[in-house]
Amino acid sequence: MKSAVLTDKKMPFCPGCGHGVIVNSISKAFMELGYNPLDIIIVSDIGCSGLVDPLFATHTVHGLHGRAPALGLGVAMGLANRNKKVIVIQGDGGATIGLQHLLEAARRNIDVTLLVFNNLLYGMTGGQISGLSTDKFKELRHVEEGVPPFDIVRLAHQAGAVSSARVISPANFTESIKFAVETSGFSLLELASVCPSYGLQKIKELDDFSEEAEALLNHRKANEVEYIETPSLLDKVEIIVDKFNSSINDRYGVVLAGSAGGGIQLAAELLAKAGMSAGLYATMKGEYPVTVGTGFSIAEVILSRKPINYTGLDKPDVIFIMTEDGLDKVKNLIKNETMIITDDFLSLSADNISSKSFSKKVGKRSAVLSAISYWISNTDIIPEEAFKEAIRPHKHADLLIKAIETPL
Amino acid sequence: MVLTDASLLITEACVKAGADAFIGYPITPSNKFYSYGSKRFPLFLAGPDEITVLQWMTGLSAAGKFPVTATAFPGLALMAETFNMAYMMELPMLLIITQRLGPSTGSATTGAQGDLSFINGLISGGYPIPVLCPSNFEDAWKLAEESVKTAINLRTPVILLTSKEMVMTQKSFDISKLHEINKINRVHEIIDLPYKTYKSGNNFIPPFVPVGNEEHLVRLNSSTHDDEGMIQKNSPNALANTIRLKEKMEKRLDEYTFFEYDKQDDSKHLIVTYGISAEASRDAVEELRKNNKKISLLVVKTLLPVSEKITKIIDSYQNVTFVEENIGGQYKEIIYGKVSRSNIKQVNKIGFMISPSDIIKELSL
Repeated sequence: MKSAVLTDKKMPFCPGCGHGVIVNSISKAFMELGYNPLDIIIVSDIGCSGLVDPLFATHTVHGLHGRAPALGLGVAMGLANRNKKVIVIQGDGGATIGLQHLLEAARRNIDVTLLVFNNLLYGMTGGQISGLSTDKFKELRHVEEGVPPFDIVRLAHQAGAVSSARVISPANFTESIKFAVETSGFSLLELASVCPSYGLQKIKELDDFSEEAEALLNHRKANEVEYIETPSLLDKVEIIVDKFNSSINDRYGVVLAGSAGGGIQLAAELLAKAGMSAGLYATMKGEYPVTVGTGFSIAEVILSRKPINYTGLDKPDVIFIMTEDGLDKVKNLIKNETMIITDDFLSLSADNISSKSFSKKVGKRSAVLSAISYWISNTDIIPEEAFKEAIRPHKHADLLIKAIETPL
Repeated sequence: MVLTDASLLITEACVKAGADAFIGYPITPSNKFYSYGSKRFPLFLAGPDEITVLQWMTGLSAAGKFPVTATAFPGLALMAETFNMAYMMELPMLLIITQRLGPSTGSATTGAQGDLSFINGLISGGYPIPVLCPSNFEDAWKLAEESVKTAINLRTPVILLTSKEMVMTQKSFDISKLHEINKINRVHEIIDLPYKTYKSGNNFIPPFVPVGNEEHLVRLNSSTHDDEGMIQKNSPNALANTIRLKEKMEKRLDEYTFFEYDKQDDSKHLIVTYGISAEASRDAVEELRKNNKKISLLVVKTLLPVSEKITKIIDSYQNVTFVEENIGGQYKEIIYGKVSRSNIKQVNKIGFMISPSDIIKELSL
């Protein structure tokens, strides 16, 4: 003998409310299918339909208005035991405000059953119409005429629900619920209900004011989520060995300024790594428009003998300016004492500016690497070999090293 | 040494501490969490919007999993109602908030420390949320672990409050110095039978049992409820349960209060800071001391609830300067309110990180 799915609590609904009929049908369906109460998780929404929790002797989760299908889907994806049944209950108001969650649950097709109690209105707040209020009901009320209701049965079907159906006659509730519960994957049932306080008074009026009953099927296999062991992210991080020397005693700031696709961010990362292999601490950060494929690309690198706390770079020691986009972004940073290395097509000249034909010699993508290499060879800040060492693990290392070895 | 970022360290630490799932909705500057999360967590799900993300997380947590997400203010704003739900249901989870310049969508790729006031008021009724805030890479590792631990031990959502510069900037870092993180056990001992979902013992925390278990009936409830999880209007049992939500955070605050106090004897000046501004403050303090100025530094790592340990330190100084990257001084306002005092200074800035020289200039010691 299975224990009862319902508690002995009195129904909290108004006399004659259709919700009580649905609750009894749910109970009957589970009893007939032979479920234990603790095999069932009822996830409820806000509204009169959300008053069901105390009635069920099952696990219950009482959530927010409209969000129960998402909450129930979360529960289903977290369950260790796949034989448990998640039943989500919401009203027509909840289905309206949370329509996205309903469609998402249908699309995901995890094993969840959604029961929408459609009494055509918001009962808890005074009988306002919902997105599922039918045309006939709105005509009766003279509200929102000409604005059709959402057909959630078809919407759920189109989004991928294995089964979705509208049931008007209470005589068919128990069998329909049994079918939905036994469906593997996402199933939706819209069940007609009356609201004697604000809406239809009698069950027999349902036929006149409801949309047509219908039942739709998609032949899909239910999805399941899997929890997979993965390797540590730290296993994949490149370890940089300190094996070179650097002439930097304090802190040295580098700005690379170019355009998207110009290899600026990669060059900055390689320079930071080269500094690290020369025994320095390093930071690297990039700045570019949200549309990453176009416009400027700026990177800042700090190399320092001491650990770096503050990573701002207010006065860079050297700025590489590779394109017009880059120049626009960094021109305010240029001081008389800042070393500037630039491509000669930009035609910049001053005492602190060195320009070379980087892009002409090695191409736009590698120009900044060539410029860094030029700077390294003229300053001895870090050994050239340290820069090459940083490049070597890169998948196109041969090409990149060839670029920096190309005579200017 | 490696060149890495705090997003990676936080992601890795969460998984090592036992987090099971990353539920993501893409937003800058939390992008790296999404990317690392999709590779590292046992389960990764791409939510269709931030409300769904947090609803799924609550469902996963109800079933005994530990979920994590990362977002920024626009996402957090959408999550506000569901965050209250998860808080009320007392379900552990972690939200990583990467702060960026506001108001509104502001500037997605510009850092900020502007969301503390919002988070402070996030729970309707003014209930406290544990908010941990890393100030460097070491903290990123440690506080990610502590966030998972606090969430589990206190049965609550926890916020790890970061910012763009903290989690996007790459730094050389010695990972061999990271302490080992072990999986945090989520088993709670059930003392009283029959089990009641929200009945707690002396430690203020009701033992957690997942929905779907075959021994104990579990009733989780977002509305005001009694210790059985039954919806109530304002019954004494239900109100006592609601008050317990505040009590559990405050009575057990010592378990998750973290700060770094660099005290200089005889100093009458204290810098109070957190997050990304702590890095500039450390440099400023070093520079000032080099010039024989006396200065102490307090880096707050548990921003909320405010511990007496923190306020006692602050109260012991004649002059206090709050350093934070926002327009009005949000942490300062949490400590002192709107009233201005002659001995309290603020260093605030928007659109750029506060620099060591900004701090030194304002202190004018």
